[in-house]
Amino acid sequence: MLNTQIEPTTHSIIVTEQLGKAVPTSEGTLHILSAVDLIIKPGESIAIVGESGSGKSTLLSLLAGLDTPSSGTVLINGRDITKLNEDGRAAMRNELVGFVFQSFQLLPGLTALENVMLPLELSGDDNAETAARALLDRVGLSHRLSHTPKQLSGGEQQRVALARAFVTRPAILFADEPTGNLDSKTGAHIIDLLFELNQEQHTTLILVTHDASLAARCQRTIRLDAGSLV
Amino acid sequence: MRRMQLALKLLWRDSRSGELTLLVLALLIAVGSSTAISLFADRLQRTMTIQAAEFLAGDLAIASPAPVDPAWLDKAAELGLKQAQTVEFASMLLENNEMLLASAKAVSDAYPLRGQLKTTDADYQNETLSSHGPEPGTAWVDKRILPTLKLKPGDPLTLGEKALAVTRVLSYEPDKRGDFYSFSPRVMINRADLEATGVIQPGSRVRYAYQFGGSEEALAAYKDWLKPQLNPSQKILDIHNDRPELGSALERAERYLGLSSIVVILISGVAIAMATRRYTERHFNATALLRCLGCKQAEIIWLYGCQFLLLGLLTCGAGCLLGWAAQQGLFQLLKELLPEHVASPGWLAVFFGFITGMAILLGFALPPLLRLQKVSPLRVLRRELEPLPSSGWLIYGLAMSIIGTLIWRYTNDAKMTVTILGAGFLALLGLGLLVYGLLRLLRKLLPHLSLSWRFGLQGLIRNSQTSVSQILAFSITLTAMALSFTVRSDLIANWQKQLPEQAPNHFALNIFPEQQQAFQDELQQAQIAGSRFYPVVRGRLVEINQEAVQQRVSKDSQGENATTRELSLTWTAELPEDNKIVDGDGWQADKPGLVSVEQKLAENLKIRVGDRLTFTVGSEQLAATVANLRTVQWDSMRPNFYMIFSPGTLENFPTTYMTSFYLAENQKNLLAGLLKKYPAITVLEVDQILKQFKTILEQLTKAINLLLYFALAAGFTVLFAAVYATLDQRIYEGALMRTLGARRGFLRVTHVIEFCLLGGLAGVLAAIAVEAILYALYTRVMHIVYQPSFYLWAVLPGIGVVSVGLAGYWGVREVVRVPPLRVLRR
Repeated sequence: MLNTQIEPTTHSIIVTEQLGKAVPTSEGTLHILSAVDLIIKPGESIAIVGESGSGKSTLLSLLAGLDTPSSGTVLINGRDITKLNEDGRAAMRNELVGFVFQSFQLLPGLTALENVMLPLELSGDDNAETAARALLDRVGLSHRLSHTPKQLSGGEQQRVALARAFVTRPAILFADEPTGNLDSKTGAHIIDLLFELNQEQHTTLILVTHDASLAARCQRTIRLDAGSLV
Repeated sequence: MRRMQLALKLLWRDSRSGELTLLVLALLIAVGSSTAISLFADRLQRTMTIQAAEFLAGDLAIASPAPVDPAWLDKAAELGLKQAQTVEFASMLLENNEMLLASAKAVSDAYPLRGQLKTTDADYQNETLSSHGPEPGTAWVDKRILPTLKLKPGDPLTLGEKALAVTRVLSYEPDKRGDFYSFSPRVMINRADLEATGVIQPGSRVRYAYQFGGSEEALAAYKDWLKPQLNPSQKILDIHNDRPELGSALERAERYLGLSSIVVILISGVAIAMATRRYTERHFNATALLRCLGCKQAEIIWLYGCQFLLLGLLTCGAGCLLGWAAQQGLFQLLKELLPEHVASPGWLAVFFGFITGMAILLGFALPPLLRLQKVSPLRVLRRELEPLPSSGWLIYGLAMSIIGTLIWRYTNDAKMTVTILGAGFLALLGLGLLVYGLLRLLRKLLPHLSLSWRFGLQGLIRNSQTSVSQILAFSITLTAMALSFTVRSDLIANWQKQLPEQAPNHFALNIFPEQQQAFQDELQQAQIAGSRFYPVVRGRLVEINQEAVQQRVSKDSQGENATTRELSLTWTAELPEDNKIVDGDGWQADKPGLVSVEQKLAENLKIRVGDRLTFTVGSEQLAATVANLRTVQWDSMRPNFYMIFSPGTLENFPTTYMTSFYLAENQKNLLAGLLKKYPAITVLEVDQILKQFKTILEQLTKAINLLLYFALAAGFTVLFAAVYATLDQRIYEGALMRTLGARRGFLRVTHVIEFCLLGGLAGVLAAIAVEAILYALYTRVMHIVYQPSFYLWAVLPGIGVVSVGLAGYWGVREVVRVPPLRVLRR
């Protein structure tokens, strides 16, 4: 059940205050998000739901530092990321955040192993390969390490994406419609894996979804309607 | 280190998938052509330097149009210098009813002081080295002479009035010059036999060369002593400062070849820019993901920059190897015109080609690559987000800087660089607008066309910027190749065709005053129609209004050509009938000290009526006031002169006479009789000279064509780069159309139409360009009427249609192969 009355505490991992996003269009200013106040605790699993065009992806992109708001602030671990430049936000993402996307977003020229190693290599970790192998084994793909995305099915690609998202042991995991491109059976398997890994690593999970049953698995649901919290 | 490994990994994967093939090919072509030319020029220059002493046949030489003061030779002996002497002059040979204009050289016993002569027997076998020339009473001849004059070794050869026995065939002389004399075959005789020939008289056109050898101190002392005594028509040549005249011709050749290679570089650069653009667009998603995962903007550029840097290093290396092979080909094609022994290639020339390649990569690939820096990480969620295009200033500015630097490297002239850049830019802009206009016109045809033609034409019109680039690239290449072919085969023939039926086809020079009347009478008796006899004095223009002429000349201009050598000066009371005064007035017969100047030369040297011109004639100086400027019909086949003086100005100088006349083929025997009677007269047979010139031109154009093949290859890389830039879009549209019911055959036909139209338009544009250039060449340079070449309008578009049509069709074959469902599911 939605509860927006949680008081901010020193243990909040994400806090937004009056967060808003507006874009100019030929018919005037379009307010995609308006005055969103949000507090998320470490280890929470949050589902962001709403109809198409309600601003779910926009909210996710602002929380992840992929975009900058027109108004308001986003604090992650007490740090205002809206005041950071793009490189600062990139460094923050590398340090704290993992992603799972609807369209998997694997690099087509790299193998499964190399795709999972990538975030660790970017942060200069010498044990990237060991960690990547372990995660791929965890998601059941230890026999597909040298295969490129072209050689993997949709479900396998998403498992690789999961492994990549968790290999850095992120504090926050953002997932945008993770089963949108999968059939229901594969999707269910992916979701099970997602929540298992999440529990193992005590990651804060923020999930954008249309799927009510998926939303129900989260501890909290945030509903957006026309850019505002309801 | 990890990032470097990631960069290498991505590069390896991309190259295996063919993403970078076109870029590599375009760079390979650009580097190959510039390395080939750089190596070619470098080897020839190094040959000149290494063989410099041989080319002078001494450590130091003096060249003079007349014998030097004997005191100079005494001074050289006093300093302990070894001495040798050569005298070169043109002479007609007449044996067994055959005639041949030869270049005679009388050499002293000590010649050559440096290097050696090589001779063979009559069968061109048993080549022997010799450190001296022929003995008195004998002659060594060029291999062309024996068959032409039907001579065998031991047969007599008469030079002027002296009969000599031909003993050897001369296969190599160290100081052979690259000027007019080298057109003619060589006859080498002993200096002791020169007077007996009777060919040299006061006023004859002769080149005296004195060679000296000895210690550096003695040579330096001699040079210092000699320099103040030289007149402007005399030169000191030494191994440190001078290059033979062939060197300046080579400098010019390097310049023109280098400028031609810039066309190749420009076309390749366009292909590189297109290929890089496609590469970056296909990496937007990957870049967005990397940004999402924490990669900073600078790290993105580093990652891709490293890949391109490494790719550039490897490709430029391979390009240098290709250039190496190509310059070997150039030497093979031109071996008849070049020295026998050429220096081996130098590493600096290879390095230049390498650096050129890296600069091209930087100039054309960097702007699209920088776009990756601007890819937003938000693109992972919003695929429609694209980074802003690179600034036009950056794109064109970088490219023009690279091209401008290369032009400057070859011309060494800032003004010429700016002119070429400006003219080139305007020409491209003009042509581009023309093509754009043509495409817009074609758009109007769309509603009237059948479906396949409509789709085919739309393919061309939709990406008009890309289409314009492709059409320009091909048309430039087709234009260059057509010009090369036309110049080689048609130019001389067309020039000859427009001459009047009985235009003079022979020139007679070195007619001495005491022979002039008798020679004229002989021509009249034989009913040989000729022009006037003009008196000729050899002199050189040195000052204009007391200012040295060198201040007014620019490189490669008519003015430079007319002031770095002696001119034939003449005088007459009345100007030739076809010379028209355009400024100033004619003169009275009794007013000496006036000169009439040819109009274009006057423009080049900024000479005006009333200016005071100073000439040197031998060791004397002569000044005259410009009375008028006149036009000259240079192709009238009559003697024509840059400078004509009023009577009374030149009469005190040694004079010979010149005339021209027409001889039909069946009258050639009359010429033989005349030459026997007047052995000192030189007769130039214009058709023989033209034949030789044509042969040389053919060889030169073959070498230029080698370069043009590079340009053609570059043109094809532009085509394929453009095709692949739109391939994803074509595949998607093709899948959609097939889903809607279009057959594969229909799609194939639209592709063929699109590329055939592209090639056809390129051919039409090339035909326009070739006609325009030939028109300018014929009317402005050669002053002859130009007839349009209608066959060009059929051949060039035809070549374009076939070559571009086939290549383009092959490039998009995948569009009809990929299953539609696979595409639509992506």
